[in-house]
Amino acid sequence: MRGIAVAAIALTSVMSMAACAKDSGGTSNNAGSSGTAASGCKLADKPPAAAASSSTAGDGTKVDGSALKVGLAYDIGGRGDASFNDSAAAGLDKAKTDLGLKADAVKELTAAPNEAEDAKQTRLRQLATEGYNPIVAVGFAYAESLKVVAPQFPDVKFAIVDGAVDGATNVTPLVFAEEQGSFLVGVIAAYQSKACHVGFVGGVDIPLIQKFEAGYAQGAKAAAPDIKLEKKYLTPAGDFTGFQDPAKGQVVGQGQVEAGADVLYQAAGASGKGVFAAAKAGNAKAIGVDSDQYNQPTVAESKDVIVSSMLKRVDVAVFDFVKAVAKNDLASLPKVFDLKVDGVGYATSGGKIDADLAAVLEGYKAQIIAGKITVSDKPSS
Amino acid sequence: MTALAEAPLTVVPPQRKRKIPGWALGMIGVAGAIALLSTTSYLTGVPQLTSTGTIQTAVRLALPILLAGLGGLWAERAGVVNIGLEGMMIMGTWGAAWAGYQWGPWAALIAAAVFGALGGLLHAIATVTFGVNHIVSGVAINLLGAGLTKYLSTLLFFPISHNPRESPAVPKFDTYSAGGLSDWLGSLEADQRVGISDVAGILRGLVTGVSPLTMLAVVFVVGSYLVLWRTRFGLRLRSCGENPTAAESLGVNVYLYKYAAVVMSGALAGVGGAALVLNPGNPGYLEGQTNGRGFIGLAAMIFGNWRPGGLLGGAALFGYADGLQLRSGGKTFLALIYGAVLLLAVLVVWQLVRRRWFAAATGIVAAGLLYGVYYSVDEVPSELTAYAPHLVTLVVLAVASQRLRMPAADGVVYRRG
Repeated sequence: MRGIAVAAIALTSVMSMAACAKDSGGTSNNAGSSGTAASGCKLADKPPAAAASSSTAGDGTKVDGSALKVGLAYDIGGRGDASFNDSAAAGLDKAKTDLGLKADAVKELTAAPNEAEDAKQTRLRQLATEGYNPIVAVGFAYAESLKVVAPQFPDVKFAIVDGAVDGATNVTPLVFAEEQGSFLVGVIAAYQSKACHVGFVGGVDIPLIQKFEAGYAQGAKAAAPDIKLEKKYLTPAGDFTGFQDPAKGQVVGQGQVEAGADVLYQAAGASGKGVFAAAKAGNAKAIGVDSDQYNQPTVAESKDVIVSSMLKRVDVAVFDFVKAVAKNDLASLPKVFDLKVDGVGYATSGGKIDADLAAVLEGYKAQIIAGKITVSDKPSS
Repeated sequence: MTALAEAPLTVVPPQRKRKIPGWALGMIGVAGAIALLSTTSYLTGVPQLTSTGTIQTAVRLALPILLAGLGGLWAERAGVVNIGLEGMMIMGTWGAAWAGYQWGPWAALIAAAVFGALGGLLHAIATVTFGVNHIVSGVAINLLGAGLTKYLSTLLFFPISHNPRESPAVPKFDTYSAGGLSDWLGSLEADQRVGISDVAGILRGLVTGVSPLTMLAVVFVVGSYLVLWRTRFGLRLRSCGENPTAAESLGVNVYLYKYAAVVMSGALAGVGGAALVLNPGNPGYLEGQTNGRGFIGLAAMIFGNWRPGGLLGGAALFGYADGLQLRSGGKTFLALIYGAVLLLAVLVVWQLVRRRWFAAATGIVAAGLLYGVYYSVDEVPSELTAYAPHLVTLVVLAVASQRLRMPAADGVVYRRG
């Protein structure tokens, strides 16, 4: 009896093995094809061409920062997150080369996911007591901690990226107009989409990330009024693991591709890698965030789907801040790092943005800078 | 059945005689779930509930939870509470990435099992030999797993990936599909016929793009059942969890069995970690990527009444609910609420037949409330959907905890002699 059962099981498994085909073996896998071979959106009128740009080059004065000891407190992910923190690290590296900052006069510390508030305070206090000045806190998550720590060290110059601390005079806010940069990549998405259907994947449902969504949606709508938009946040506010979970990013990206979107914009930190993977698997395109993700080694295997990235020049802000401290001239920093001061922008690496599209983008950019288009920082719905 | 229900509660409850064997009950449950989903999908007009993509996602998300839960099952059946699953899983993710980027996915799997097993061994040494409180040791292992991998990845991954929190990309398994069957089911699903298309969608999700790891996990579930409930070794192992003193008096080497169980537990949790690393969306090891899945695995095991079949159901529930909310969000989830109303309606009828008036009334009230929610909102807010699996577990545990039965000596430190 047992022999027969074993034989039957063996036979069945052999037969089912024979029926199983390897997915990667030749046959076309029609995953994610939206069926309609539409050739793109009905595009809105192109904006007037931009006037010859007269961006002010930096004042050539040499600033010496070799006396500074700079402390950097990263948010979740830290150096090497292929995103936001890396950008801050790049600014610090630039300060090392351009301002003569000494390598051992820099200390970098990284936050852990869902850590307690006092862990952040301890980190900042540690940097301050060890004599680091200025200290840059990377990420809005440090706002509450800075409110406590900054008054305790009135002589230390703090800066906080993406946040502001009311009432603390020694904290310089470094905030960005993410919605303006996202507007431009929204335009890119609308021009690149074949199905006139684009997607947005946010990491955590918080006002900061909503700015990305808001700008993106407005840009896409401005370029193609009847475009369809999928949007999804990985985790609700309060649960910051959404910035750190590529598996979820992949699931959401795949869902949007299957719903018909063929250009995905991610503002999800390290989870964005999953979104890229989903875009690659579904023959869609993707737009990166914060840094020029096309050139990042950590996402190298899916770089061919990245058409552009919304640049948030945290590096510029960090560098400018360190420079301003070295010059002792904090008032020279812009209130908001926006398109006008090149605090945000878009990346062209990879050659996916042709001259026509570039002209359109410059047109929109000029209109935003001139104030003819105001980009709201809140999603419309 | 009615006579049984009305028996006085003061006496020791009589031995429940199961007319239907467990596997048949499981099949009925699965069939019921499919029927419920397809009815809901038909009545609410939300095909995503049973689409291939949803099921595939559910399988992928359920896999690490299932494996972690199985790990918990082995340890707890031998009487050792293993709250260190999360830490062992983290060790597994590191091991998988370290071996995986050098020698491929199979090596990743083995290394993950070995690393997880090392975590298990540590837990066994602490709890069995030295009699440390199981929870304390488990928490320590969670901390150790996170810290150790952080150290090791800074040491070994940083030179290659230029990121101390991440490994280089790990090659993934090829996926397999049941060729003709999958296409046939696909065309059936595309027809959108009531019932048939839903079943086709679910089946297609299960046979399309299957990773060898998924097949392996199924083998592990069945294997765990067979080993633990159908072999002498399993009986002895379980006796260590029920009454170690009695087992010892009959000549069972309790320490040895506990060691074996906890090491096995760690290995399975490690493989669960490998399932995360080898997930197609993940480039490789990433700090904090387990994200509490070890604990959810533990919850799935309790949900499943310390049995492999129930555990499979619990993991599937988590994977499905999570996949659904991530893929299609609040609107689809609303349909699921409608499904819950239908389920409650069936349960109410059942309770009425059994003349349990109070339970029926409670059911009616709950169904009414849920239907009110369904009727009044267009979309379940994302704050709620993200935690839906956890809420469902809470509800199930609250309702069914009377019937859950953990191994009698679970979590009790046993001293030989």
